[in-house]
Amino acid sequence: MEKLPLGLALDLRKVVPYETGSWRTLMPVNIMQTPPCNQDCPAGNDIRGFLRTLAEKKDYEAAWHVLTRTNPLPAICGRVCPHPCEDGCNRRDFDSPVAINSAERAVGDYGLEENLEHKKLIAHRKEKVAVIGSGPAGLSCAFHLAKRGFQVKIFEAYGEPGGMMRYGIPSYRLPNYVLRQELENIWKLGIELECNIKVGVNIPMDQLIQTHDAVFVGIGAQTGLTIDIPGQDAGNVFSGVEFLRDVNSGKYVDVGKDVVVIGGGNTAMDCARVAKRLGANVSVVYRRTRVEMPAITAEIDEAMEERVMFRYHTNPVKIIQDDDKVVGILSVQMELKEPDASGRARPVPIPGSESVIPADTVILATGQAVDYDGIEVHKRDNKWISANENLMTSIDGVFAGGDAVLGLETVSAAIGQGTRAASAIEDYIDGGVESRLSSPPVIYSKDLNTYYYNKKRRFQKEALPIHMRLKHFKELYPALDFEAIIDEAERCFSCGLCFNCGNCFMYCPDNAVRISEKTGLYEFDLDFCKGCGLCAKECPCRYIQMTLEK
Amino acid sequence: MREQSKYLEGVDKKDLFASGHRACGGCGQALAARLVADAAGENTIACVATGCLEVFSGPYPDPSWRIPFLHSLFENASAVASGVDAAYKALKKGPVNIIAHGGDGSTADIGFQSISGMFERGHNVLYVCYDNEAYMNTGVQRSSFTPYGARTSTTPTGNTTRKKNMPMLAADHGIPYVATATVDDFRDLQLKIRKALTIEGPKYIHILAPCPLGWGHHGELTVEICRLAKDTGLFPVYEIIDGKVTNVRKIPVKVPVEEYLKPQGRFKHLFKKGVPTKEVDVIQEIANQNIERFNL
Repeated sequence: MEKLPLGLALDLRKVVPYETGSWRTLMPVNIMQTPPCNQDCPAGNDIRGFLRTLAEKKDYEAAWHVLTRTNPLPAICGRVCPHPCEDGCNRRDFDSPVAINSAERAVGDYGLEENLEHKKLIAHRKEKVAVIGSGPAGLSCAFHLAKRGFQVKIFEAYGEPGGMMRYGIPSYRLPNYVLRQELENIWKLGIELECNIKVGVNIPMDQLIQTHDAVFVGIGAQTGLTIDIPGQDAGNVFSGVEFLRDVNSGKYVDVGKDVVVIGGGNTAMDCARVAKRLGANVSVVYRRTRVEMPAITAEIDEAMEERVMFRYHTNPVKIIQDDDKVVGILSVQMELKEPDASGRARPVPIPGSESVIPADTVILATGQAVDYDGIEVHKRDNKWISANENLMTSIDGVFAGGDAVLGLETVSAAIGQGTRAASAIEDYIDGGVESRLSSPPVIYSKDLNTYYYNKKRRFQKEALPIHMRLKHFKELYPALDFEAIIDEAERCFSCGLCFNCGNCFMYCPDNAVRISEKTGLYEFDLDFCKGCGLCAKECPCRYIQMTLEK
Repeated sequence: MREQSKYLEGVDKKDLFASGHRACGGCGQALAARLVADAAGENTIACVATGCLEVFSGPYPDPSWRIPFLHSLFENASAVASGVDAAYKALKKGPVNIIAHGGDGSTADIGFQSISGMFERGHNVLYVCYDNEAYMNTGVQRSSFTPYGARTSTTPTGNTTRKKNMPMLAADHGIPYVATATVDDFRDLQLKIRKALTIEGPKYIHILAPCPLGWGHHGELTVEICRLAKDTGLFPVYEIIDGKVTNVRKIPVKVPVEEYLKPQGRFKHLFKKGVPTKEVDVIQEIANQNIERFNL
């Protein structure tokens, strides 16, 4: 027998421990869950992924690559997206949601500054895909297909690519150089672009279908719908899209002194604010009240800050002209009655309440429609393209997405549709192989253990002061501070994914949580775990859960 | 993240108090003993009094301790530790960390004379008391640490006396360092152990270690219960350095004692159909006195 030091009855280094794992009835498991931000993102971005990359590695480049796995246009989305992710953020119930939109913009801007390049997943495939329209849906579809090696060609009807991002969004929200740079980055993947080609007019649709393996239709809703109102053919009456397109193409538009915008959607807000920047007094005429306005709340707030007048409960009856020129509109006051089919209160005119609003220009931002010139597909409600769950239209091999399918939606929603369509097109070309993954369940704030998080103030982006906004079309929100954004990313709860806090490791009474030698992550030693559940209870982000023994 | 979640350097090996001990799931004492062993490091001798800790971590041939370990009687862990200290001095060996571990019964009742003697003689020993507020090892009998109102097997209708204030008694021996800690703030606990081991002379650290079995709560609540004990004011966390109370942990948001009592089976009889009885007011009064006394 080996001689032991004085006083030791047993060589403690050679003890075989007693395995207490057999006592267990419940076992801890690591379950990655979907955070609400990822769930709510219409573009399907991995928001938790890029925020945690920023917070842990403080590496903008890595974060940009995480973001551009799904979203080819982070700098644009970071500017124009109404960020439904922030509405879902679990931090909302704790202090205030993480400023995801600003973080996305900072990451996108960093990518532009450093000229980061997208990585191709597959170098080359011989199949050809035609994409009609270079708006967010078309671009996203082309981007994802090009990354997977397909030969993609985009046909654009207007002079420059970008669709509504180029011709619909005013440049104080999205400066032109951001769009141009972000697009140039996408062309580097080898996407061909042909401008001034309107499919169905300059080139027949059938020809595209015959010469390509698949076609994606992302034509958007480029036609302004007008309401039935006498006098709308007068000079100085524009539709919303038309007005924005003219201004964004650099045309000189003489709006005069008074501008009346009819409608309460995002296009109406854009038109009103553009007209304000052109030096006019602007009033927005809307049938219902602010609550029913379909526009993004922040847009309405900013328009109010810029002293756009809002006339609620007002309906235009007639555009008054003098010598083919608008001089005003006759309007009537409305009152709201029980809700109609759309769920919004139904406005009914009050007799005898007519009044005249003076106007030099009238902009009808009362809806948009798809321009179907030469493209024959089945339609839904006689308005939007009808597509199945794989986004395929009534024609075999022709897919569609974006506003043309969804109705009027956001850039992010269009990007998400493009991404889905790209997967569907790949499946279609590969012969119906389903490659979609189901996502794990969503985690909500009631499941989190928020004791371990610190309260911290939310990052607030600063807009230009109002007196400096209205003289030019410079961007409303100047460049963001990259350091401050990293601080903001650290506020992310990392819902449903381990962020190495070490609670399970330190709190295990049985020493059964170890640091894995292979991966450096925490792992359970099930030979010794007694299943008390302390680790799951004290896990801040609910990555650890107790399940029945397998 | 809270500062608390950042663990100290050198405690991530966790190999001095190994897995395989026979403690119940969610045992506060097992957790506390491991935190103490890891914070103290390899150059340590553990003198463990009879009690749960010795029973679940000590049996031959597979003890959990990977440091020299001496099992003593219920009442004389501090006397044995004093002897170890005297032996090291006589042999002119060392320095070594000598830690005496005891439960609340062996500290405040049975072993009180030996711990008092150790403090008085001024041995260089750290005494760690794991306070689970009853004799859990022998079947949840009342000890002098059992709080007012708690049900034990010897006080089935609730304890009628108040808890002995051991940290103050230890401090009144004039020893250089006394501290209280709980298992939920492991960083604080391990810092106090390391701080105590740098001080020459007798030291006393009082750790609140919930017992899921004896207290009648689910094992996963061990940490939560400690947090509530601190936030209600029932267990003040502080240090006493050279007789002066310092570094008192302030309560961030005060919690009524019901929150602490309700999850525990031993206080179940204080609520008649969910309505608190007058004993709860007495316990609230104890918490208020603590808050006032230590300015929590």
